[in-house]
Amino acid sequence: MSVAAPSARTPHGRARLIALGHATKPIREATGIARGMLWAGAAITLFFVVLAVFAPLISPYGFNQYKSGGVRFPQLGHPSAAHWMGTTVQSSDVMARVIYGAQTELKVVAIALVMALTIGVPLGLISGYFGGILDRALVLIMDALFAFPYLLIAIVIAFLLSSSSIGQGVLTAAIAITVAYVPLYFRVVRNHVISVREEPYVDAARALGARPRTVIRKYVFFNVVQNVPPIATLNAADAILLLAALGFLGYGIQPSQGAEWGYDINRAVSDAASGIWWTGLFPGFAIVLLVTGLTLLGEGLNETLNPVLRRRRFGRIEFEPLDPFEPEQSE
Amino acid sequence: MTGTSLRTYLITRIALVLPMVFILLTLVFLLMRVAPGNPIQASLGGHVPAPVIKQIEHRLGFDKPLLTQYGNYIWDIARGNFGTTITDNRPLSQIIKQNGAATLELTFFAMLIAIAVGVVIGLLAGRFRDTSVDVFGRLFGIVTYATPVFFLGLLAQLVFGVWLGWLPISDQASPLTQALLKPHTNILFVDAIIDGNGSALWDVTKHLILPATTLGLATAGIFIRLIRINVIRTLRDDYIEAARARGIVERRVVFSHAFKNALVPVITVIGLNLALLLGGAVLTETTFNWPGIGHELVLYLENRDYAAVQGIIVVFALVVVAISVLVDFVNAYVDPRIRY
Amino acid sequence: MAKRRLRWLLAGSAVAVMALAAALAATAYGSGKANSKIVIDGTTGTVVNIDPANEYDYDSFTVDLPIYQGLYGFPSGAKLKPVLATGCKHSKNLKTWTCQLRHGVKFSNGDPMTAADVKYSFDRVQKIKGDQGIWTLLTYLKSTTTSGNYTVVFHLTHPDSIWPYILSTNAGYVVDHKTYPADKILANTDTANLVGTGPYKLTKFTPGQQAVFTPNTHYWGAKPKNGGIIIDYYSKSSTMKLDLQKGAIDMAFQTFTPTEIASLKKTKGVKVHSAPGVNIRYLVFNVKRAPFNNIHVRRAIAYLMPRQQIAGRVWHNTVKPLYSMVPQGLPGATPSYKKMYGAKPNLAKAKAEMKAAKVKKPLPITLWYTPTHYGDASADEYVEMQRALNASKLFKVTLKSAEWAQYSGILGKGYGAFQLGWFPDYPDADDYTVSFYQPKSFYNNGYANKKMNKLIAKERAAPTTKKRLAYLKGMQNLAAKTLPTIPYWQGDMIAVGRSNVQGIPSTLDATYYMRFWLISKS
Repeated sequence: MSVAAPSARTPHGRARLIALGHATKPIREATGIARGMLWAGAAITLFFVVLAVFAPLISPYGFNQYKSGGVRFPQLGHPSAAHWMGTTVQSSDVMARVIYGAQTELKVVAIALVMALTIGVPLGLISGYFGGILDRALVLIMDALFAFPYLLIAIVIAFLLSSSSIGQGVLTAAIAITVAYVPLYFRVVRNHVISVREEPYVDAARALGARPRTVIRKYVFFNVVQNVPPIATLNAADAILLLAALGFLGYGIQPSQGAEWGYDINRAVSDAASGIWWTGLFPGFAIVLLVTGLTLLGEGLNETLNPVLRRRRFGRIEFEPLDPFEPEQSE
Repeated sequence: MTGTSLRTYLITRIALVLPMVFILLTLVFLLMRVAPGNPIQASLGGHVPAPVIKQIEHRLGFDKPLLTQYGNYIWDIARGNFGTTITDNRPLSQIIKQNGAATLELTFFAMLIAIAVGVVIGLLAGRFRDTSVDVFGRLFGIVTYATPVFFLGLLAQLVFGVWLGWLPISDQASPLTQALLKPHTNILFVDAIIDGNGSALWDVTKHLILPATTLGLATAGIFIRLIRINVIRTLRDDYIEAARARGIVERRVVFSHAFKNALVPVITVIGLNLALLLGGAVLTETTFNWPGIGHELVLYLENRDYAAVQGIIVVFALVVVAISVLVDFVNAYVDPRIRY
Repeated sequence: MAKRRLRWLLAGSAVAVMALAAALAATAYGSGKANSKIVIDGTTGTVVNIDPANEYDYDSFTVDLPIYQGLYGFPSGAKLKPVLATGCKHSKNLKTWTCQLRHGVKFSNGDPMTAADVKYSFDRVQKIKGDQGIWTLLTYLKSTTTSGNYTVVFHLTHPDSIWPYILSTNAGYVVDHKTYPADKILANTDTANLVGTGPYKLTKFTPGQQAVFTPNTHYWGAKPKNGGIIIDYYSKSSTMKLDLQKGAIDMAFQTFTPTEIASLKKTKGVKVHSAPGVNIRYLVFNVKRAPFNNIHVRRAIAYLMPRQQIAGRVWHNTVKPLYSMVPQGLPGATPSYKKMYGAKPNLAKAKAEMKAAKVKKPLPITLWYTPTHYGDASADEYVEMQRALNASKLFKVTLKSAEWAQYSGILGKGYGAFQLGWFPDYPDADDYTVSFYQPKSFYNNGYANKKMNKLIAKERAAPTTKKRLAYLKGMQNLAAKTLPTIPYWQGDMIAVGRSNVQGIPSTLDATYYMRFWLISKS
């Protein structure tokens, strides 16, 4: 999927427009299962985004609210008309916590992804374009990190930061997730840059005397960046699992800072053993639904944007852009 | 595919591993030392007077210059000495032997389950591409992936442990079984076989089912996706077309050619997945009170035992590297086309 | 070629799996009749050190209690009795204590226990000065001498009326001089050498999983009522609860959440045993740190402390409101805080105090707690406190938490107001006052009061128990007035057993000791 940029003289504004047109064309033309996945995923994701953005309007109560009109909520109350999903041991409303939880999850994941992208993509661009010792050193470090179970990286980072002045919270969780994902973006972008670097139009630009910065910015970046949306979407799904895992282990968001599903499930484990199912079930389903939505969206995007499945050549599985999101599967 | 070329390959591969190990070790060291706060104080807390802290710092070598500490750290690991925990004075080697065995047991069976589930669903989904089987298979893969291990574990505990009462929901074995088994390998499943103790083996197996299935299902998604894509690819390959053209029955084409080829890369993914399983094992072990190394890591993190955390992370790093090498060896053995 | 190799690999793995399955099937019907008299106990605790020379936490203590004994102890009930000693006599100035040892006592490895072992044990604790800090209990001990095989003399630096209590703590547990090194502690897994004179010996210890005890065949006292004990360690109380319900364990001690206790009370086949206990929770102020250096601010919080809400809502009344650091049930306990601040929150008085404090309203304050060490309910407890203080419109509370290892290292050094709990070293009011009010207390809250110091010195030198209790009362009243801490609940000692387990109630008392040897199973 090469961008229409035959020479350096093409106004880059137009090149971008064309690139954008090229990028969205497959989505518009998507068919079959891919189309279904794309739209189902988009709908679910949108649902949670709406929940997150309009939480104060949608939620019946605040996430830490424990009384209304001077009357205290019941403790561990069954789901009822007043509390559709019941109440927790601290008398707060489970539904409110689920709704506000969407806000927390999306906020942390968005911050983390932006940070991971702003670090990983430029590093990958530079490393891939220039090559040399810098490239080798970076590849070695990133590969070492990449081979490591990223949940462990995130736990250790969160653990180390939580004893620093930053303390536990949104930023700590976001940084922990960022560190876990930078190697992924670096890899994907670098490998793609290496293949794009030798394309005729890039060569042409170089021959015409464009500076590396210009070449990277105008030609390589736009080509490479198309890979990012599907990966970022799938990554967001994964990041939510990671954040929930951190919360479950007690290294996520502090309970007073916001509702977080993983932490709520952790607290609900002891309820469940006593036959109280609603405190854990609803946050759990929220995670499953949101992650499923994001995964569907990401896979749909991937299948429509990424022509992998039409490629014939296939030897050994490589962790290349082929299926860039594969390795970070699992929990 | 002569022996020499294989051997050359293996030697190169091992040579390539060393810098990776070195970098991982250095990263771990830097992370733990750059961390704010006094690790000794954080690890001990309580009633400890300053001279005692000094004394422990001295014992652990924390009072030496950073470079010396780094040198000692690398040298110790090179000799297979991973240190001792601060909070309960346990040598890391003991943690590796005891808790590592439990993790090995869990991940092995989880991997078997992940492969079984992944291969069956993946093959079917790929073979019947774009049919309802495919949609169901893929959705199954996505949902098992989207379900956090600890939530799936909780549900499994509730349904099979509490509601139906069929299976134990925590520990590696019943307390009595564990107390009476002789620790030959620390892998209770194997110990029970060595002792020829049937009831213990049955007890251990029952305890394995829920954690291994939970962890296995959570990792099955990657196999489903991979095998499905491979089946689709191979079904379109030239030689498959050729086979079809030669009039070989479609079923035979599918079974003897496409499926077999689609399974070759699974070995790579098994290796890749083992490393990731270790991450998932941390959560599974915590949920099921499984006394594995991930469970220990979480406990030592809670106790802020820097020495223990560092030691366990180093062990994880070495295991990850070892697995990647092993996978490459197996691959080289199975698929002679692979050479660097 | 590739395919053939793959085929071999796959076939090999298949054979291996089938062999395993066959082995499983073949042995599945073996017999494994286990000793049905072994009592299996569950706990969420963690063991730090078993060696008594460096053990100073409740969970490790529970492991030590069946293995070791001191010269004095609490074999049953909260009454101090001689155990390895037959009695001790003190000099008039309470600075020299001479103890006669029991004859014929053996360690679980068969070695006889003599005065040399006693001296060795005390010297050892003082020499090792372990990081857990148990040696601080022996601060007053200048030296230990022996006279013959059965007489030990303790020479103290200060008069100490409570010395026999100190002899009952694990700082005074007697170990075998032949198996314990003089200057370092034994590893927890070194069970062959971890011997004591108690009713059991430790036969197997797997960190974080299990401690296995079998009866000590050389024990000098009455035989345990069971055939052995296994303590199983859990990381979550919920799994422990389910195992108890299913019968995988016979009993559980320490610590279920209040929700789980409520559920267990309604569960058939198990019985929740509880008895008034001396486990307490309290809020500590650093009296040197703003805004808590202002006595009026502390008094306002004392007036607002929602004890009933915490006991009722968070703990379902398994704990009782506490109005002194010394819990009810110990001689000398007096509810000073009730007299001074009333039994229930008093908003009007709190408002008056805040007026006198001359601070802005609402005053922003931070309260610290530790989320797992004292059980998951700690978070709920502090949320309850936060809600009550915020509702008064006098305070704006921020809650912060840190895990125990970090938390316990900081306390008063970094926090202005923080949660703590206390299990007794010995069940006496002295342990609930001197530990908190002496000028350099372990929690570093900057509290130093001359009157208090005088009371402490007088209490330790008091010739009679009556006089001693009078001084202890004075200390409690003075503390209520000067507010270094606010106690808020006192917890029952709770153990849950299956219905075929007997004898649990006989160990529930003010010592907070789990005496496993009294428990049997039918």
